[in-house]
Amino acid sequence: MDKQQTSLNDTLSYIHSELNRVQTIAGTLSTSESKHYKELTDMGDDRLNQIANEEQNAARQLGEVKQICINLVQKVEDIKNQYKQQESPDR
Amino acid sequence: MFKFVSNFMRSMVNETVDKAIERLARDQYTENLFEMMPVSKKVNPINLIELVMRSRKGQPPGRPLGTHMRFSPWDKLLFNPVHLYRFPTPEDVGISTAVTIGKRARNPLTISIPIMIAGMSYGGALSKKAKIALAQAATRIGTATNTGEAGLMEEEREAADLLIGQYNRGGWLNTPDKYMQLDAIEIQLGQGAQGSTPQRTPAKNIGREYHEVFEIPKGEDALIHSRLPGVDTKEQFISLVRKLKEETGVPVGLKIAATHHLEKELQIALEAEVDFITVDGAEGGTHAAAPILEDDVGLPTMYAVSRAARFLSRKGATGDVSLIATGGLVTPGDYLKALALGADAVYIGTTAVMALVGDQMTRAMPFEPPTDLVVYQAKMTDKLDLERGATSLFNYLNASSREMELVCYTLGKTSVSDVNREDLCCLDPFLARAIGVELAFISPEEQSEYFEGLPEMAHEQVNRQPESYTQHPLH
Repeated sequence: MDKQQTSLNDTLSYIHSELNRVQTIAGTLSTSESKHYKELTDMGDDRLNQIANEEQNAARQLGEVKQICINLVQKVEDIKNQYKQQESPDR
Repeated sequence: MFKFVSNFMRSMVNETVDKAIERLARDQYTENLFEMMPVSKKVNPINLIELVMRSRKGQPPGRPLGTHMRFSPWDKLLFNPVHLYRFPTPEDVGISTAVTIGKRARNPLTISIPIMIAGMSYGGALSKKAKIALAQAATRIGTATNTGEAGLMEEEREAADLLIGQYNRGGWLNTPDKYMQLDAIEIQLGQGAQGSTPQRTPAKNIGREYHEVFEIPKGEDALIHSRLPGVDTKEQFISLVRKLKEETGVPVGLKIAATHHLEKELQIALEAEVDFITVDGAEGGTHAAAPILEDDVGLPTMYAVSRAARFLSRKGATGDVSLIATGGLVTPGDYLKALALGADAVYIGTTAVMALVGDQMTRAMPFEPPTDLVVYQAKMTDKLDLERGATSLFNYLNASSREMELVCYTLGKTSVSDVNREDLCCLDPFLARAIGVELAFISPEEQSEYFEGLPEMAHEQVNRQPESYTQHPLH
């Protein structure tokens, strides 16, 4: 039983750290997309302006990815805490 | 040649205007065409033509797109920029626009902007092309679209990454094979433009595909009942919500027409443990409804949002139960003000349709209204360029989101969700008091002192009026 719980804890910690990584990557990409938006709008071309709009939106959606990661990290934390609470009365 | 035609036209116009002015000046006023000017001002041109429609057909005219009245005084609210007291957000910081609807649900709905496409049904209102274009635009921007009171159209489901379905009073989406395919379920008990009034689409206006999507036998009308079939008691509503939550795991919410009974309605929604609440204000649009339903029924969106948000706060449900505002929200400023008053997201309907039509309106105008391009089985329905429409709406949503972000910079906020009542000031004392926003006339420190005297002032005003009326020299 203990072994199983340790394994679950490890898995949850792994998911937690990976989610933090995804969050960081999304943030970096979002910054990069915002930069592209600015550069493309400097060209003054209608088609490039349309692509710039898509880039601006991509930056925003990467922001959403960050938000999702934060929500998921919270859920993982909740699960970890639940398990901790379940463990403690026995001990 | 051109000069000759131009001179001829000028003299024609000159002669016509001269004759018209001469007649207006000469004819007795009671027989004068100019009579139409004061009459149309008295009755107003909209009421004038609608009374003509009533007198011609003997039936209520179905006015498209809701009331023309702006009940909610959004222009009485302004955002408060910051400089030193709190610093503005640096320009290299991204503003978060993502919002999660139904946080308590097993599968909450996260959208990348707080603007969603309102429920506008296929067949009952829009064409298939228009519905797909709305879904495509929503998917590209990362938000959700809504089925409206319809069946589940396969093409819409495919085009929409996030689809909210209305569990509706027609019963067309109310079976597990359909609602299990949705990303959120909105139980539709009413709408701002029509309250909970029944509606009917006559069989003659129902085409082949409409029959298929709605599963209505040929020759039968499409009926939206005033009550949701199977829900005649509060307990039945509560068990429906619980059943849908249990079966699907997606956010399950309630949509109602905003009403002065709002808090009583919301209390039952909370007892049912809904994940979100949609309040559709009196300014809400619709495909077509009797003018009395659009102009004289409901509660304005601003008051509805403010009251609903405060109610949720009093009940400790803020955050757990998402609040969606809709009804007559037209500008990005309106959207952000609704969020500041406590909404988590907004739905846009009329505005989304107009943005979708965009510059394609030249195809219909000047001889047909632009909405002819998007309405089910209208004269110009086939002329809509779907891709172009989706891009126009995508651009509109992108621009609107950007405008909201720009305000966040000057408010010193990093997320649209962080914008609240304290970021607003109000230009009307009674409104300020009612919605809990500080009055712009005076400093924050003087607010209590100012309002302490206000009830007496209002009382005096009310009491004085009849007296001054009777003492008027003419009476």
